Amino acid sequence: MEDLAAFERLVCKNASDFHYMKICLVLEKGRRNVEAAQFKQLMISGLRQLYGEVGAALPFDVLKFDPSTLTGMVRVCNSSLVKLWSAITLIGSYQNELCAFRVTQVSPFLIALSGNSRKLELD
Amino acid sequence: MSPELERCSRNLLICEKSNFRDERARYDIHVSKHFFNYKLSMVIPECASLPACIAGVIQTFSSYYRVRDLPVYKFLQEDILQKVVKNGHFYALSYNTRIDEDNTIAFLPSGHLIMSVNKDTYEQLGLEGKPSQYTHRKVQRYVVNVDLTDKSMTPGAKTYQRLITSLKEWVPLKSDFLISMKMTAEDDGGALQTLLSQYSFEEYRPTLQTHTLKETPCPSLHSSNLHGDEKSCDAHRFLEWLGAVSMDISCNNEASSFLSTYVCPEPWSSMSQGLLCTVTGFLIPEDIHSLLLELRHYFDQPKFTSWLSITVHGFADSPVSWGMTEHGFLKGGENFYNFVCFENQDYWLHMATGSHDGCPP
Amino acid sequence: MVCKMAMFMDLNISFTKDKKTLQNIIETAAHLGYSTVAINYTLESQQKKPEIPKPASISDLFDKLPVVQGRSRPIKVLNRLTVVATDPSHFRPTSEYKLFDLVAVHPKTEKIFHAACMTFEADIICVTVTEKQPFHFKRAPVNGAIDRGVFFEIIYTPAIRDSTMRRYTIGNSLGLMETCKGKGVILSSGAEKPLELRGPYDIANLGILFGLSEGDAKAAVSTNCRSVVLGGETRTTAFGIIHTVKKPPSAPTPSDKDESGETDNPASKRAKMEQ
Repeated sequence: MEDLAAFERLVCKNASDFHYMKICLVLEKGRRNVEAAQFKQLMISGLRQLYGEVGAALPFDVLKFDPSTLTGMVRVCNSSLVKLWSAITLIGSYQNELCAFRVTQVSPFLIALSGNSRKLELD
Repeated sequence: MSPELERCSRNLLICEKSNFRDERARYDIHVSKHFFNYKLSMVIPECASLPACIAGVIQTFSSYYRVRDLPVYKFLQEDILQKVVKNGHFYALSYNTRIDEDNTIAFLPSGHLIMSVNKDTYEQLGLEGKPSQYTHRKVQRYVVNVDLTDKSMTPGAKTYQRLITSLKEWVPLKSDFLISMKMTAEDDGGALQTLLSQYSFEEYRPTLQTHTLKETPCPSLHSSNLHGDEKSCDAHRFLEWLGAVSMDISCNNEASSFLSTYVCPEPWSSMSQGLLCTVTGFLIPEDIHSLLLELRHYFDQPKFTSWLSITVHGFADSPVSWGMTEHGFLKGGENFYNFVCFENQDYWLHMATGSHDGCPP
Repeated sequence: MVCKMAMFMDLNISFTKDKKTLQNIIETAAHLGYSTVAINYTLESQQKKPEIPKPASISDLFDKLPVVQGRSRPIKVLNRLTVVATDPSHFRPTSEYKLFDLVAVHPKTEKIFHAACMTFEADIICVTVTEKQPFHFKRAPVNGAIDRGVFFEIIYTPAIRDSTMRRYTIGNSLGLMETCKGKGVILSSGAEKPLELRGPYDIANLGILFGLSEGDAKAAVSTNCRSVVLGGETRTTAFGIIHTVKKPPSAPTPSDKDESGETDNPASKRAKMEQ
């Protein structure tokens, strides 16, 4: 019989460099065409307004954007999470239309965003 | 600027490597102790459709029930307690309750009743409990853990009577529940049906969804190397990639790309297609265990892939994660585990929890 | 019973005569996961003949209250009066105040701020967010308010509407935090439109920007609001029935001793005093 893999156990505390957010943009007059790049640009403008040029330079990724629901998956460095989140919370308008960003899920694990038991609707 | 703006709450990831054939391997215990599972997702590279034998196992998954406004003491009536709650395969979790806001109740297959309740309820209940570990400034939440298999909990005993009085008269605690039970040869669930039929309830089947993954980069894994190096990718990056393929996130981005710079971890090879299969519901460990057994047999026939993966997500609002470890919700309630099964029966097991949670076993 | 838990609350939804808008705001709040909201009526005392508004009946607003997202229960709607005071005589707790579940005071001068912290029978003291803080937050009154179970409220909608207001909101909040150390604060919206509301976890994160720790910020939209509501209940019943919690004789209450440093449950404290 071949050799079995030797047992090994690692404990990683805060080993992830990133946090992941599921973010939805809500517009006053309902859905309309917003492209992924505009979605990101709006977030960056929020960062610039609140944290200036250094804020606007904080790197983050829009991993995915669904234009039909205006929902994006975002990856951000741990140290920028609070800043990005607060910046988009304070965004109140998009192209002269009232809007709100709603963060529906946050996790240090991207895979955790693929399931949300709070959304298990049985009715 | 305040340092709080750059801080992040803690998270834990345990990575284990072993072999399914190793008698000392404890993977089955970790599966059986993660009681409340909301979703599982399998990724099988180079696979076009769900193999019939795996689909067959999913077919045998237990049904679950959603019952409305069930008083907690009803579970403790002699007949139900003996035939259902203490039968070793009974799972119940309060539904539509949030662990960071509401009273949350769970029955574990070990015969434990866990009640995570706010301070007022706790004081009115008059039962012995402990302050929640995730307390801020002052204690607002308590966890009451009752071992229903203990002698003192035999119907008729004084402590038992006290528990009934608490839950029936002092605080008539009731809730919607998700309930499931592994049926056995001796027990066809008759007693459970009798209980449910007194209330409004519905039966549900776990929902299966399959999705074919398009051609995508796929990290190269070597079972002997858990740490990650130039030949193999490390656990966090692998889990990130798994999340990316599960959610149809592109892994082909240029460093100069405006939207996303995410790329598949190195080294990688191209996967021509893959299968993503998810099962959602109130999934019990016994069923996940049998699925895992079947997945191990996937490599009985030669395959184009050397590994496959299964991820199991726990309920964000369960009062426990593994065993009786207290689980909470700060800004997320993640508690999940993931197996990477290799063709030589080696496996990696990743277990992860967020900030308001103990260390996985 | 509903409001006795550590659930998310927004204790400041601006009253508007436009019923549809008010309904929309409350529906949005329920959808965002708030279990309790308070409709706020403002009394501008400096006007010549200030008239205390009459709170609208909630049953006129909704036949059936919207259900809180992901829960099996309807949202709870309270009424609140905010007295804007430039003179101590403006705050006169009359029987008309008792028509409201909550009473707040917005002190415009240091003298009134001091009185609000130390003596006024109010549940909430509003922190100015639309102009530069006109006086210092001194330790004695701030701690006095915390000890009495009166909470400081920071509203966030002006910070969404206008970047100047945003600077005042952040600056004034940080000023308060220096003194109160994150204790005794609630965060509310002050929303006039549904889209001005933000979700409870979004606000818990925003609280960090206002100088709160992660835990204090979450408490500012949940457990602290609960204390405010309980305090309001006690105040409105102070001359009538007194709420007492029946405790079973042998109930273990290990919690009573470990609460140094934080405001005790103001409701039980006041109830005891009234007895």
